[in-house]
Amino acid sequence: MTGPDGQGRAAETPALSVQVARLGEPADLTNCDREPIHIPGSVQPHGVLLVLRGNVATQVSGNTETHFGLGVPEVLSGGLGALLDGETLARVQGALATESLNDNPLYLLTTPVRGRGLFDLIAHRRGQQVILEFEAARPGRPPVDSYSQVKRSVARLNATVDLTEFAAATAEEVRRLTGFDRVMVYQFAEDGTGTVIAEDLRGDLTPYLGLRYPASDIPQQARALYVQNMLRIIADVTYEPVPMFARQGEGVPDEVAAPLDMSYCVLRSVSPIHLQYLKNMGVNASMSVSLVRGGALWGLIACHHTEPRHLPYDVRSACELLGQVASVQISARQEQRDQSYQLQLKTAQTQLVERMAEENDLLEALVGSGMNLLHFIDTPGAAVCLDGEVVLLGATPSRAQVTALTGWLDTQADVDILHTQTLGELHGPAQEYAGRASGLLAVKLSHSRHDYVMWFRPEELQTVTWGGDPNKPVEVSEDGTDRLTPRQSFAAWQETVRGRSAAWQTEELLAARALRRAIMAVVLRRVEELGQLNDHLERSNADLERSNADLDAFAYIASHDLKEPLRGLHNYSVYLLEVYEQQLDEDGAAKLRTLVRLTQRMDDLIDSLLLYSRVGRVDLSFQPTDLNNLMADVLEVIAPRLEQLNVQVQVQPDLPVLTIDRVRVGEVLSNLITNAMKYNDKAQPQVQVGAILPDGRAAHPDLRVPDGVPAYACVLFVRDNGIGIREKHFENIFRIFKRLHARDQFGGGTGAGLTIVRKLVERHGGQIWVSSEYGQGSVFYFTLEA
Amino acid sequence: MSPRPVLVVEDSDEDYQATLWAMQKLERTDLLERCTDGDDALDRLSDRAQSWPKLVLLDLNMPGTDGREVLAFIRSTPYLRSLPVVILSTSASERDVNDCYQLGANAYLIKPVNFAQYTEQLRITLDFWLGLAQLPESAEGP
Repeated sequence: MTGPDGQGRAAETPALSVQVARLGEPADLTNCDREPIHIPGSVQPHGVLLVLRGNVATQVSGNTETHFGLGVPEVLSGGLGALLDGETLARVQGALATESLNDNPLYLLTTPVRGRGLFDLIAHRRGQQVILEFEAARPGRPPVDSYSQVKRSVARLNATVDLTEFAAATAEEVRRLTGFDRVMVYQFAEDGTGTVIAEDLRGDLTPYLGLRYPASDIPQQARALYVQNMLRIIADVTYEPVPMFARQGEGVPDEVAAPLDMSYCVLRSVSPIHLQYLKNMGVNASMSVSLVRGGALWGLIACHHTEPRHLPYDVRSACELLGQVASVQISARQEQRDQSYQLQLKTAQTQLVERMAEENDLLEALVGSGMNLLHFIDTPGAAVCLDGEVVLLGATPSRAQVTALTGWLDTQADVDILHTQTLGELHGPAQEYAGRASGLLAVKLSHSRHDYVMWFRPEELQTVTWGGDPNKPVEVSEDGTDRLTPRQSFAAWQETVRGRSAAWQTEELLAARALRRAIMAVVLRRVEELGQLNDHLERSNADLERSNADLDAFAYIASHDLKEPLRGLHNYSVYLLEVYEQQLDEDGAAKLRTLVRLTQRMDDLIDSLLLYSRVGRVDLSFQPTDLNNLMADVLEVIAPRLEQLNVQVQVQPDLPVLTIDRVRVGEVLSNLITNAMKYNDKAQPQVQVGAILPDGRAAHPDLRVPDGVPAYACVLFVRDNGIGIREKHFENIFRIFKRLHARDQFGGGTGAGLTIVRKLVERHGGQIWVSSEYGQGSVFYFTLEA
Repeated sequence: MSPRPVLVVEDSDEDYQATLWAMQKLERTDLLERCTDGDDALDRLSDRAQSWPKLVLLDLNMPGTDGREVLAFIRSTPYLRSLPVVILSTSASERDVNDCYQLGANAYLIKPVNFAQYTEQLRITLDFWLGLAQLPESAEGP
């Protein structure tokens, strides 16, 4: 064995045999996915591989001399009989004839071969061929009780509560069984990358727990092989592959010399790339047990040893059994984990929907304290864009970036749910924030506006620690040509995964879709409610316009059509009184006079009503107005009546300047002052007019300002020493035509005055209220500022 | 040529009656001529055979052709344009007041319900227009 390609062997090739060629070119990282590793044409040197067709030996590994002291041609010509003595031969032949060996390597026995020490004999059938593997066994080693070993391990695994703990226990149990320096449990992601999720190791070694490996570390065809054959072993990574030799000659079919499919062979020689990989890691022996879930490779139990290490068949089979148990368990645990995540998604969804139902504000329901979008789908960042508002939760791009993102989303195909692992490739500006949002899951809430719920996942490179040193330089091979080594794959691989996030799971997409439906339902209901409210408002507005028009028409009719007959009644009564009073008795004349008075009263009522109907609709002209000035004008107008009734009016000298409609506020003041003097039974009626400035309210402890009057409003007042108002009438007095007194008492008002005053105050955005002590006097307070 | 009348355009008999009473009370003997509606007024004013009124007291709201149309007709007819027209209306509506001045009314008075007030209002009006004011001659001259 002189060279890796076994060319040194060519000279020794016996006439009877030809070396089985390896197919294809030497593998490197550019083609290792195509490397035909199941037909390597060579085996590891710690055993001999013999292929039988019936009783004829068709192929054998080139190390028979080393192990058995017998040359390849002798083995090929002599077959099994050349190696085993009579009794053993009979037992083996019996087993080969009766046991089910198809694709299922079976340990047959441990036996000395030609007096050369003990070999474990393992056999399996591949089509018409029986493949026998002779593995050198260590003499004197007590056999391992696989059953009790595995039973104990399984009991231990069953006691674990979750996947993480389960994986850790698996690593520990396998290390206990095998004695490897390091036992790791890998889990593969959908993209093929592997992460060390559990590890048990010799104390002085560097832990790899949490490390992540590129998918290229285990090529596709290797993965396929791992599903077929649960266990692989490399006893010594520095081994020289031993080539296979095939029988040649008359009557031997060509396919006999075809490379052997070693998918199930434990001695199968492994890819030089894999060996290089292990060497780079300082590993000299390795074993891996497949963890298969639903026919796919879920992960590996990977064992490393610093020194060469050959694991006997019984220990390997215990590991294999453990691997199968673990595979089943992992499926269950994974299912449990998936279910619990689904349950979390479901629970979160239910809670969110409940909150949306309770909370008036949809945005608040989605992002508010406690349960929110971040508890929903497992991401570090989320955002909601709703009605022009942008709310960010956790690690997200900036507000401006999210807003720009919604603009980009709007231009995307009209789908309800959009998700990507590589946002930067689709939306250039996102490259700037790849560290926060390489992954985007966006839920469109409306088709017309930029309303979205979004979740962000960071670039994965930043979330994991990578195995190996990505910066290790290219190794130069012995023949001087550059050759990629496995670790070099990192640099290239890192580039391919840059700007890429972890994948969105199907459950997450389904949950997002469900949430969208729930939000849409709430939104639709709101829209419907809003629509109803709108309809209602429109109807109310239309009603209001109609009533205004009616009021206009009524006012006009009142002013004309009512007044005309009224004038007729009045005029005839007056005429009758003037012309016929002498001919009537006093009773008749009195009745006529009453008729005249009634017509005048009705005229007053109609005028008040007209005035009132106009107050709400006239346009006010707001100007900064000096109230001192205005008061002087008001007093001048009503001066004759004040004099007549001997009323004293005191006006506070420093009234403020307010922005008001001068004429209307003049009406208010005039009306209030007139009332104050009218409803007065004192010999000396007194009226005070003043203002309480915002900072002066404290000086008026009796002032009870109603709700809605702002702190900055100036409170004006008109105080009298009149008859006062009972508290129960405080509100009544402002109602139109609601009078507290007989018609002709206190000058006989129509009862519209205060109603008009209140309306004028309200048109100024203010309020009016009264405070009074019955019999002592009243104070009318009002503000003119909202 | 017959004496020129004061033309009262008034659909309400009661109001016209009140005007007559008020005139009587005021002891005025001016010649009153009445049209009971707008159409009647248009006919009367268009008839050049009839004398040109000294003054028109025009009620605004009448069935059919109302006072606004009569006023507009007077102001748009060269023969009648300079005729003094005083609007007498029940309506205190600002819009009505403005409209009438826009159309060229010489004055706008609101008819009060109170008879005494009306009498006083009529006295002042007639004193002014028939006593104080210098009135135009007929468009076709005396």
